[in-house]
Amino acid sequence: MKRDFDVIVIGSGVAGAMAAYRLAKLKAHVLILEAGNHNPSRAEMVGAYATAFPKSLHTPYVQIESDTNAPSPDSSPNYYDTPEGFVKFRSTYERRTGGATWHWLGHTPRMLHSDFKMKSAYGGGPNFPDGFVDWPISYDDLEPWYCEAEAEMGVAGSDAEWQNLFNSPRSKPFPMSMIWPSYSDRWIAEQLDGKEFEGLTYRVHSTPSARNSSLYDNRPPCAGNSICVPLCPIGAKYDGAVHVAKAVENGAVLWEQAVVTRLEKDKDASVHRVEFVTYGDINRKNRTASPVTAEVVIIAANAIETPKLLLISELADKSGKVGFYLMDHLSKSTFGKASEPLFPFRGPPSTSGIESFRDGEFRREYAGFRLSLNNDGWGRKGSPYADIVDLVTNERRIGTDLQQALFDRVVRQLRLSCSVEVAPDSANRVELSSMKDALGILRPKVTFAAPQYSLKGLAHATSTMKNMFEILGEKNPDLGQEGAFDGAGHIMGTCRMGDDATTSVVDADCCSHDHHNLFILGSAVFPTCGSPNPTLTLAALALRGADHIARRMGLKTAQVVQE
Amino acid sequence: MSDSKTIDTRSDLLKLLCEAAELEHGIACSYLYAGFSLKRDLAEGGMTWEQQQTVRRWASQIYFIASQEMLHLALVWNMTTAIGGTPYYLRPNFPQPSRYYPLNVPIELEPFGPKSLRRFILYEHPEKVAPHRKLKSLFALAGEDAEKIEFGSVGELYGLIRSGFSNIPEKDLFIGSRTQQMTSELVHFPDLVKVIDRASAIAAIDEITHQGEGIAHDRDNSHFGAFVAMLKDLVHTKGHGFSPARPAMRNPAARVDTSYGGKAKAIENPIAGEIAGLFDSVYSLMLRMLAWSFEFDSAGVEDQLQRFCAVAIDLMPRVLLPLGEGLMLMPAGPKYPGKTAGPGFGLTRHVMLPPDAKNARTLCHERLQELASLAAILLKEQLPDSVRNGCRHLQVIANTF
Repeated sequence: MKRDFDVIVIGSGVAGAMAAYRLAKLKAHVLILEAGNHNPSRAEMVGAYATAFPKSLHTPYVQIESDTNAPSPDSSPNYYDTPEGFVKFRSTYERRTGGATWHWLGHTPRMLHSDFKMKSAYGGGPNFPDGFVDWPISYDDLEPWYCEAEAEMGVAGSDAEWQNLFNSPRSKPFPMSMIWPSYSDRWIAEQLDGKEFEGLTYRVHSTPSARNSSLYDNRPPCAGNSICVPLCPIGAKYDGAVHVAKAVENGAVLWEQAVVTRLEKDKDASVHRVEFVTYGDINRKNRTASPVTAEVVIIAANAIETPKLLLISELADKSGKVGFYLMDHLSKSTFGKASEPLFPFRGPPSTSGIESFRDGEFRREYAGFRLSLNNDGWGRKGSPYADIVDLVTNERRIGTDLQQALFDRVVRQLRLSCSVEVAPDSANRVELSSMKDALGILRPKVTFAAPQYSLKGLAHATSTMKNMFEILGEKNPDLGQEGAFDGAGHIMGTCRMGDDATTSVVDADCCSHDHHNLFILGSAVFPTCGSPNPTLTLAALALRGADHIARRMGLKTAQVVQE
Repeated sequence: MSDSKTIDTRSDLLKLLCEAAELEHGIACSYLYAGFSLKRDLAEGGMTWEQQQTVRRWASQIYFIASQEMLHLALVWNMTTAIGGTPYYLRPNFPQPSRYYPLNVPIELEPFGPKSLRRFILYEHPEKVAPHRKLKSLFALAGEDAEKIEFGSVGELYGLIRSGFSNIPEKDLFIGSRTQQMTSELVHFPDLVKVIDRASAIAAIDEITHQGEGIAHDRDNSHFGAFVAMLKDLVHTKGHGFSPARPAMRNPAARVDTSYGGKAKAIENPIAGEIAGLFDSVYSLMLRMLAWSFEFDSAGVEDQLQRFCAVAIDLMPRVLLPLGEGLMLMPAGPKYPGKTAGPGFGLTRHVMLPPDAKNARTLCHERLQELASLAAILLKEQLPDSVRNGCRHLQVIANTF
């Protein structure tokens, strides 16, 4: 039967955009369905942010039409339905062309060799959570795709610092040399490097980032505008819209304001038919009315919207695991003052971190974590504006006295933060709410509580940051409430990957166990998450998945072309 | 550039490395001048808020490219010391006529605009340009089609340098001390290659030619590609009263008697002239501190060497940048109606810093103190905010040196 397209990709974030680009480049006829509005120009978004008060993650992206019809937790604070007795899941996302990478920080550390084998490496003990499994693929399987993803996104990093970190080798150099560490990073490294805490050694590493350190992919180098979150004003930081544009250049079709409502399976369990609704004023020229069909369907909507759509469509869930094992990273910011001026508020918000605590035997007992050194002072607590208000109203400072007092207060401000691995737990999940959005689509009901294993990791991360502050000259840092954490914006799990169709949703190639032509791309497929930011890993998986799809479709893949 | 096709002697190779150092240095200043001239504030007029975003992007790209030229200069210095030479930081003062180098393109200080961008494109011109560039029609659109495009290639210069490193026996050529080489651990230049043998020398040349001048093939992600894109942007944004650059004079000089030639025009406004003089003095001291660090063996003096480099690099964004940008907000004087001043990047006459580390430190300390005192006097005048900031930063750096 003739289908409308070869491939339909639902969602135009990093995973969907990269897959669409790779497949379109291989001459597949690709349709991308995106729920959000067309993006205004970058300058317009910067303008919206600059002139808004107060400001939030969503400020540059406010568009009444899509905020109403394709709501997200960024645009609608009550979008998640939260069960009674639980705290609202803190991580959020945008529904728009390019996805949530518009407001990501851009950090791209890889997962470690052991992150793919948590159960066999550290399992068996009484305190090791049941939810941990081994991935069906290894670090070595994904390594070439990590290199591909780094080249596609444009990652800047230090080969010397990251080669073979925790037995995780790199087969290719970073596409760009590292984003140069800030003055603050270098000073902190002088104080910390080589010192030990809990038997592990501090070593400051520059953080690999999808942020140009030189001219790359027709995008400019980072100019230190300091507002990567919520928006890079010049496009030096990578976002998914880069590959949406490349996909379209290569012949992919992009339909925005197209909210997918349901996928239908055929009698043979294959999935070809995608139903969607549109809203607002759109150019219907060259558009097919809903439903639309394709040989292959890819859902790349994120780890909340993807299970939501599967549950609505009653697909891919023979295992009964769709929506289960929702993960994030537990994030915590701590604040103190260094013994010397660090001159914050310059350059990207974070350029270095400490990887020493990501792996080790301790993971039998508690979670590993990454630590970030940040360049944004106490900006998260309102500085420097809050300091000005305080100095004027409480200390009655004015003129040059105010200027000097503000300088003295701000230049030593330091924020340290952590990102703690979350153990997979079947109680953490996405279900369908009984409540509907403006288009009548069921909203997600999200249940999340931090597992004890991860809370113990958070406690160790907090005491590590306390020790770091002591070394840096702060005896009484603000460590926040004990056990309190924020979301990291790293939404993972809910459609886990595995070899066993009775316990997982997709196979090692991201194909549904239940439907041979339905693929799920994105961090939804992560069975475990380690402690690194997930975007590079999900991009590598998407490229690997797209390669598999291309081979199945008989398209000439890159390797074949090279031969 | 030499007429010969290959280089076989150390002396010829050193001569070419000096020429490369001069070129990298001069081109970097030319870029910085254009960057300084780009407007920052909407109150300066001539641009909408949206256009201001484009102008900011241009400025950041120009500063980035200039920083890569400085890296190239540092790489050339490492190559020079690796074969027994000393870092060469002199160059003729601006302007240099088109026949001064075989580039056949003048090296000048002029504000950002189609004319300066045309020059930049020619500096960075690869040996082969992709047909889709349509350079001639782009220059025509920018109103810069009058002159015939005829130029030599920087790639040729680096080709000759490469031949020298390839032809001269390795064991004879690399007589410099290995601990004389500067690395990213000692000076905060990312991607600085330690040159100790033929392979590392070739790697350094490859890095220079890959990023910018002398690339064989046209790439979007090169300096050439960036400047072509900038000129296209400018052409498309033209009209509607768009005026992205400050009306800075061409080839200014703090004083006409500045050494090392150049037919520059003296700034007539006395305060602006003083500021331009301060700029030149700080710039010259910064160069001498960097050159000292690259010249001498680091063994035993790592701390001082790191300190000199850190201060020299600190002077660039904290003193030279605000002074340079601020000068372009100050009237040049009645002789130049409607024009503002600018920094001449004049190399003031002064001694090289001595080999003895203690004496070198003493000279730098005293000179920084003198310049900070001059800044204090100038701060009593009515000055643009950025000039005031530059003067204050200079005082802080001098007081903590």
